[in-house]
Amino acid sequence: MLFLPGSSKKLPGTKIIELSGKGGINVSSNLRYKDVKKTFVAKGKNVEALKSISFDIKPGELFCLLGPSGCGKTTLLRCTAGLEIPTSGSIFYGDKDIAKIPPFKRNIGMVFQSFALYPHMSVFENVAYGLRIRKVPEPEIKEKVEKIMDLVGMAKILKRNPSPTALSGGQQQRVAIARALVYDPEILLLDEPLASLDAKIRRRLRAEIRRIQKATDITTIYVTHDQEEAMAIGDRLAIMNSGNVEQIGSSEEVYNRPNNKFVANFIGKMNFFPAEILEDNLSDLNKKQEIKVKFNKNDKIINIKPKEVKNKGKNVTLAIRPEKLMINDKETSDSIFSARVRIVQHLGQLVRYEVIAEWDKDSKDPVPIIIDMINPVVKLREGDQAYINLTPNSIIIFPGREEK
Amino acid sequence: MFNKVKEFFQRDITPYLILSIPLIFLLIFLIWPVGTTILRAFAERGQDFSITNITFSNFENFVDSNLYRRSFYNSFLISFSVVFLTLLIGVPMGYFVARVEMPFKTLIRTLGVLPLIMPSFVGAFSWIILLGRNGALRIIVNRFLAIFGLALPPIYGMFGIIFSMTMLYYPFVFLLTYGAFSSTNPLLEESAMLMGAKQSKIFKTITFPLVLPSIGAAVILVFIRAIGNFGIPSVVGGQEYVLPTLIYFRVNGFWDLNGAAAIAIISVIITSAALLLQKYVISVREYETITADRSEQKLHKHPVIKVIAMGYCSIVLFVSLLPQITLFIMSFFEQWNGILPTGFTFSNYNAILTSLDSIKNSLIIVLSASVLAAIIGSLVAYITERKNPKGSAIIDLLVMAPFILPGIVVAVALLNAFSYPSPLIISGTFYIMIISFVIRRTPYVYRSVAASLTQLDVKLEESSMICGASWACTFRKVSFPLILPGIISGTILTLATLLKELSTSILLYSANTKTLPIQIYYEVSDGNFGTASALSVLLFVVVFIIVYLMNYFLGNKVSSSFKLG
Repeated sequence: MLFLPGSSKKLPGTKIIELSGKGGINVSSNLRYKDVKKTFVAKGKNVEALKSISFDIKPGELFCLLGPSGCGKTTLLRCTAGLEIPTSGSIFYGDKDIAKIPPFKRNIGMVFQSFALYPHMSVFENVAYGLRIRKVPEPEIKEKVEKIMDLVGMAKILKRNPSPTALSGGQQQRVAIARALVYDPEILLLDEPLASLDAKIRRRLRAEIRRIQKATDITTIYVTHDQEEAMAIGDRLAIMNSGNVEQIGSSEEVYNRPNNKFVANFIGKMNFFPAEILEDNLSDLNKKQEIKVKFNKNDKIINIKPKEVKNKGKNVTLAIRPEKLMINDKETSDSIFSARVRIVQHLGQLVRYEVIAEWDKDSKDPVPIIIDMINPVVKLREGDQAYINLTPNSIIIFPGREEK
Repeated sequence: MFNKVKEFFQRDITPYLILSIPLIFLLIFLIWPVGTTILRAFAERGQDFSITNITFSNFENFVDSNLYRRSFYNSFLISFSVVFLTLLIGVPMGYFVARVEMPFKTLIRTLGVLPLIMPSFVGAFSWIILLGRNGALRIIVNRFLAIFGLALPPIYGMFGIIFSMTMLYYPFVFLLTYGAFSSTNPLLEESAMLMGAKQSKIFKTITFPLVLPSIGAAVILVFIRAIGNFGIPSVVGGQEYVLPTLIYFRVNGFWDLNGAAAIAIISVIITSAALLLQKYVISVREYETITADRSEQKLHKHPVIKVIAMGYCSIVLFVSLLPQITLFIMSFFEQWNGILPTGFTFSNYNAILTSLDSIKNSLIIVLSASVLAAIIGSLVAYITERKNPKGSAIIDLLVMAPFILPGIVVAVALLNAFSYPSPLIISGTFYIMIISFVIRRTPYVYRSVAASLTQLDVKLEESSMICGASWACTFRKVSFPLILPGIISGTILTLATLLKELSTSILLYSANTKTLPIQIYYEVSDGNFGTASALSVLLFVVVFIIVYLMNYFLGNKVSSSFKLG
């Protein structure tokens, strides 16, 4: 299900394209955020959009900012662009603080969700805009525009050179990317660039964007609220929530080793169960092979082999991915609890069951448990009684109880 | 410290320099005059305002003087009657044209605008030709009314004022309600129908509440114009005074600027109260469209409804266009007493040759004022929409204020601030005429440009800045070309409405700066109806051509040009 791009190494078969004539040597520097804070005044109240953000982005990296709407990811991007000035803190590019430099002195490229193509200019003029501002001589403009349009796969469109309003959404986005790249910016910013496109084009274009980024090797920040998109495209990603960075890591890290419950639930689905650790020595549980725990909901005692334990005391929450649970139509010796099937969804490569556990059967506000099965249990229909087992490894233990 | 200075110069200060120009202009030519006027209303006649000598004697007239009380009462009565009557005529017409299947809809909307293209007093004066003592229409109508033992009231007085204003201002109601009725999402009405509501129920619970904000906007447009109109009551008022004519009387008869200021304040207070009331009533009923999904408007096709609708629209259009028809006929005759005009002649049009001076003055003043209003209006719109500084709400209020100030009040304010013993004396010059026009019409350009700026995605400008363009370069290459249609339509509308302007210039003109409408006004006063008609026809044709050309090039409908004016 997941396409994990891994490190920021060049994809095989791509080579750095010389746009700038710098011989393809990567000259860009680290981008470093240090204690960046941004406070807005809205309706007389101060709203902290960014609460002291600090992290680094490596040269040539494709870095994703991911989070729910209102988490501050777009604000951070706009601060990087210079469209907002941070209330305090610094943004270093190399060793230069760029936080207060106006956008037009920064040499960055940006692609907007709405594409922001100029309706009064042709496609060629749109792409050439940044070069004209830089007073590049005419023959060179022509050459560079053709080269970049070839890179984004729009060479044919450029021959016709229509108005951007005559293009489809996907084509407009390619033009917008070309416009942002043509003048060799040191940083490329993408603000939810695929959000206004339909699902099929979105999947195709995100692979395209990764190819283009690797081909040009420009340090790129990609903002999105779609976790699948972020995991598919980013070398590393930062998960943000209400003005804070919750975790930074590769897709593999944030998926398999989430720092906290928010990240666990935001990156993919996650089921939470309150539990109690039944071990005498509560420290250093990570070294133990097996841990004995008690499910609080039905007092079932089981042995698990957790991936990671972050307990602070014996009360904990077990976090289990839907694919680590198994559903059965018959009770077996290792069944943990029984449940009633509420919804069965066929998602193509897997079947997703949404069940209500035995302890929630009379609850007015039950918390459904999600189970993903690669092979569906054909007999189970909606409304049937089912039994849930679990794979004892790959469970993450978070401190405290998830009470609902 | 050094860092602060460095930071300052790293920022782009050109926008601040350029954008401060219109604000300084507004400060000198709007805030100062209005401020002086308010203060001088509390000073004795002929004296300057002083804190130790505050007097209310100028306001006491409203209690003591019969003339003042009567004018106050008349203004009130006229404004409310005109609002009521224009609603009565305009709302059904808007509904018919929007919702009934009938031919010539575009023509009806274009003809509906024509009354607005003339100076208001010209309409009143052609009603005098038709409904005066020996007017053709009076004779015909009275013959018919005599069957019931009735007769038309005399045209001079309240009947003439209210009737002329109603026939002049109903297009505002018609056009705004037409817009609302044709743009409500039919899906809303269809869903009500599917839920089982009957036609009448749908109209009451869905359609009417949705068009109510537009009706409210029309009401306030009509009210502001009715209470501030100078031309109509001065031509057909006879013995009846209203607040604007009373102001004119104070200034022209007695040079009592302080007294005029007091009347002006009262008149503006009434207008503001009406505006606040309208805002209060409407604000609870502002709706946002929830979805962009919509279906085609379903039109009434029943033949009876079609006949009623077409008959109604034709009658209203015919009556409201009678002044234009009358003027055109009158311009070829010497006299029109009785049913038919007498003495066919072309000599009335010789007046054009003798009025070349006022035509030239009109062109100079109107063109310079339009260009200035365009620059100031566009810049202020850019400030409030894009820079959004602290206090942009105040700037917005400031620039829109002249919209509710009656023209004659603006004239009083400028006279107060810029005639002897002011440090800057420009009364009687071209400058004061141009400035008064700029102040009055900047809101048109401002609104028009602000509207095109809100539709323009900020991201277009941001992406230009990111591409490396400075503010000035972004403005020149991206913002300006994209808001140019808004600027042009605002400016042309300004030009067209200024050509027929009378209520400000009547107090500000001097022998050298007489404009064409003033010339026509005096021809009417002197009883030269033929010449006045010929000059009015000229003015009408020029304004119509301007509006028509603008709409032709911008692809708008003529009827949508007068939403504001």
